[in-house]
Amino acid sequence: MRLTKDNINTLLIFLPSLILVGYFVYASIGWNAVVSLSDWRGLTPSYNIVGLSQYAQLSHDPVFWTSLENNLLLISLFVPGSLFLGLFLAILLDAKVRAENTFRTIYLLPFALSFVITAALWAWMYNPSIGVINTLFEKIGLGFLKSGWTTDSSVAMYSIILALIWQFSGYTMLVFLAGIRSIPESQIMAARVDGASSLNLYKRIVIPQLKFSALAAFVVLMVFALKAFDFIFILTGGGPGYSTYVLPLMMYRETFSMTHFAYGASIATLLFVVVMVVVIPYLYMSRRGGE
Amino acid sequence: MTSLKTRKDVIYTMPVQPPPSPTLEPLKEAFEVMKRPLLNSFAFTMFATIFSGILGSINGYILTKIRFRGSEIVFLLLVIGIFIPYQAVLIPLVMTMSSLGLYNRIEGLILAHTAYGIPICTLLFRNFYGDIPDSLMMAAKTDGAGTWTIYRRIVLPLSAPPFAVAGVFQFTSIWNDFLFGLVLARGTEALPASVALANLKGTTTAFWNVQMAGAWWYALPGVIIYLILGKYLIRGYMAGAVKG
Repeated sequence: MRLTKDNINTLLIFLPSLILVGYFVYASIGWNAVVSLSDWRGLTPSYNIVGLSQYAQLSHDPVFWTSLENNLLLISLFVPGSLFLGLFLAILLDAKVRAENTFRTIYLLPFALSFVITAALWAWMYNPSIGVINTLFEKIGLGFLKSGWTTDSSVAMYSIILALIWQFSGYTMLVFLAGIRSIPESQIMAARVDGASSLNLYKRIVIPQLKFSALAAFVVLMVFALKAFDFIFILTGGGPGYSTYVLPLMMYRETFSMTHFAYGASIATLLFVVVMVVVIPYLYMSRRGGE
Repeated sequence: MTSLKTRKDVIYTMPVQPPPSPTLEPLKEAFEVMKRPLLNSFAFTMFATIFSGILGSINGYILTKIRFRGSEIVFLLLVIGIFIPYQAVLIPLVMTMSSLGLYNRIEGLILAHTAYGIPICTLLFRNFYGDIPDSLMMAAKTDGAGTWTIYRRIVLPLSAPPFAVAGVFQFTSIWNDFLFGLVLARGTEALPASVALANLKGTTTAFWNVQMAGAWWYALPGVIIYLILGKYLIRGYMAGAVKG
């Protein structure tokens, strides 16, 4: 490309974005990685490079392993849970309902709300003494199902997962519904003419063609399961004890409550690497698939 | 419903029971607390939405219609910005804002939300601009129009739909954000509504009414926009958008 006046103009209007993203994304990630190799504790920055000692410390920290386990639990339950519930809702909406737009609007609303709102709502429902759920259980004679939803350390993480599936299934429904709509009408007509039942129609024709929708939703859910913070921070704050700690929450606490900056940065760097392991193959595949 | 209950009623009634003596007191009380944070949120959300939208539009145009060696790579590097866990930039972000004197300032939140909004906006506009026929550009180019002129005369007038999608999407995301507000604005000067609401989360049961009332105030603008302009938000989500 030659340096014509026009090319310089192009560069000039492109530059603000390049600088902002270059600095706030890439340089900042690099800076964070450098911090993770230092011994910075306390409020004054220190860049004495001490190598991988923060990472070594992480591997001996039980809170780190609890947090990692909870992230993995999120991945193993929240991701498939949201996918299946979303697929179910999408098929239901596709097959039965007339007022599709209205239902879509209602199902998707939780996803459009801030986690701060949904966390307040679930805190109110899960409250052991005055919460809706326990009150209802008692009223219909199922008092034995009452639980300390967010106050019992063996249940709390599952309560979080349940609420997050509720919030995200509207989104997966949307993705699947768009996938179903993109299947040519002729294919569905042909199957119908051949006498396929609705069940078979979905099993044989529709669901196999939703692979790309499922992959897109899967990546979004995976990334979320790794970086989940707001909802858990507000609903349980990681408690009781460390039972609902996840890596982003641990990073926040270590960094901003305890001023262990280098330690927090090492958690953040690990998190970044794991997310990139999920995202980059996906981007690579979807770029190639698109061409 | 809980937001219409008096403190006494919150304690003595079932959660799902309608309030025996409905009162607007909690809504008023919550509004007093939330007023300033809501205004703060409006301010930085509006500005950051506009800035990231404009920059995203310019990027989308350059990456689809100008193209240059390496433009695919640049695009990919921008798109990766959508997915990064913000934890990985949090420490540098706080340091940067402090040294710029933008910690606890509306301007700091505008800058942060603009910068991290550019990737998704670029993706949204790029998807849309791909559909504008190249012949339109070529005609203008042979007439001697430069990059900037083509953008202003041809591309921008066609951009109402992507601006609606990016605008509604960005408004919702930035309005809903909690993390940046939490680490960049602790004082009242720039405190966003999301953080104010989380702070409102009282420890005693009697505060449920005020907390729920606060949640209503914070949710209201988002819900109104969702009900009126929801279809644009849906298009934003469909473009591979993410939350959180």
